[in-house]
Amino acid sequence: MPVLQAHDVSKEFREGRETVPVLRGVSLALEPGEVVALEGPSGSGKTTLLSILGCILSPSAGRVVVDGETVDGRRPDRLPAIRRRSIGFVFQQYNLFPALTALENVEYALNVKGVKGAAARTEAERALAAVELGDRLRFLPRDLSGGQKQRVAVARALAGKPPVLLADEPTANLDSQVGGQILTLFRDLAKRERRALLIVTHDPKVRAIADRVVQIRDGRLAA
Amino acid sequence: MVDLARKNLLHDKLRFLITVSGVAFAVALVFVQVGLFLGLLDNASITIDHLQADLWVTSRNTPNVDFAHAFPDSLVERVRSVDGVERADNLLLAFINVTQPSGAEETAIVYGLEDFRRWGVPWHVLEGNLDDLRRGDFLFLDASAERRFGPFKVGDHREFNGQRLKIIGRTRDALSFTTTPLAFADFDLTQRLAGERFRDRTTYILVKLAPGADPDAVRREIQRRLPYNDVYTKTEWAERSRTYWVASTGLGMNMILTVFLGCLVGVVVVAQTLYTSTMEHLKEFGTVKAIGGSNADIYRILGQQATIAALFGFVVGGAMAWALRPAMAAIHLKLIVPGSLAALVFVGTVLLCLGAAIVSFRKVARIDPALVFRT
Repeated sequence: MPVLQAHDVSKEFREGRETVPVLRGVSLALEPGEVVALEGPSGSGKTTLLSILGCILSPSAGRVVVDGETVDGRRPDRLPAIRRRSIGFVFQQYNLFPALTALENVEYALNVKGVKGAAARTEAERALAAVELGDRLRFLPRDLSGGQKQRVAVARALAGKPPVLLADEPTANLDSQVGGQILTLFRDLAKRERRALLIVTHDPKVRAIADRVVQIRDGRLAA
Repeated sequence: MVDLARKNLLHDKLRFLITVSGVAFAVALVFVQVGLFLGLLDNASITIDHLQADLWVTSRNTPNVDFAHAFPDSLVERVRSVDGVERADNLLLAFINVTQPSGAEETAIVYGLEDFRRWGVPWHVLEGNLDDLRRGDFLFLDASAERRFGPFKVGDHREFNGQRLKIIGRTRDALSFTTTPLAFADFDLTQRLAGERFRDRTTYILVKLAPGADPDAVRREIQRRLPYNDVYTKTEWAERSRTYWVASTGLGMNMILTVFLGCLVGVVVVAQTLYTSTMEHLKEFGTVKAIGGSNADIYRILGQQATIAALFGFVVGGAMAWALRPAMAAIHLKLIVPGSLAALVFVGTVLLCLGAAIVSFRKVARIDPALVFRT
């Protein structure tokens, strides 16, 4: 059974007096443990689709189901709870908190998800060990390389065991070799723990690790 | 629990220092301004506070203890005959010209009483025996008079309204709101010094109640017998004397304005630095939202940062004000900071800092978490 589904999702934005359609009837489903690459040119609607699937934006029309729960676009106040329970994000710019160590970055995300105290600390250590950063727990982001920062971001996304992982251009700021290592690690961890992983990308290396590649153009998915 | 608020705040130490400095400046300003104000007001009623009188009989509409008007001193007999009055004595308070050895003229406020010891004034005697005041043309002079009269010592003589008096004692802390030096002399001598205008007259009648007497009943009866005088309890009279200076001199308004400006500076500094910090951390707050945090989580972060700034600012500002006390004392200014004022300033500081954070609340409430996807 799919863990993430989009049914005929459309999204429009108002720009002044004009309404600009960004997504037009997009349908997509990801199974647990499936790795999907979402490709498309700039302005094709990739990030908007990622935002809707990640319960950051509500669709103008259509339906999104995350881990069996239908997202009610009329109740934006309920979206944070779905994000806490079911979704882990990895961003192009890492988006780590500069004042927190690697361990604290992961632990804080767990705190937000409701895991507190020693349980959060243990889970954060486990997640960082899984991305091979067990020896960098007390390092601040400024003391980590780009690849290490992205590993921390991956650990943060994995922590709390969300069934859906969404990554936005995770290798865009990394060199080819490090980017490849991160992708392989990310895929392996997602597969091992049966998480659905959707990666928005321009990077051809993603094709190599994806089970499926989906193209988006002008707000529509292409086969 | 990871304390993102504190770590973010302390991560940029320079900004934190600026924020704390702003709060500390405001706190110190409020403490110093209000403390000096209370110190001045303390002088306005210091003799009332120390005189062990339960009731004060004054001439009608006397505005404060220093600006006394005279009435017949024989009225004291009517007061003494009231049931519930243990003792009543005349107190004559007069501004007297004092000729200095240099020829300069100064003024002193002379308190004239028959028996100072009975009424508990002066309360700090440095030298001399109060009982000797009845034995001749003698007086006690407060040490603070040296600022106006120059150095003096027991045994020196000064001319009070042209009469040569011997200083037989020194007191301490007997001050007036007007900074005019205080002296203490026998009642009859004070009447003589004050001149014809005060012949057979007094400015106050001090009343000590008998144990168990009903103050209101005694007061009503005195008022009935002396219909052209006013009768105040000690507390009322002290309050009236202080209020006069607050209301009639603009001192109160000046203090309120300075406190307001101090608070405004503090709020603006905190609001500005928190807002700038929020703008710089916008993407981080977006990330908090993206990983499932709500607006309430971010409000908590900002609120906690404002509270931390308030706590540090209060401590530093309080320490600054405390450190200024010796400097104030050196220029003969009292800085009075009662516990209630400290508590009020603390609560005010926290509330104002939280209020300053509201500007940032409005900004983060509108953060679009989708900004985390923007490069």
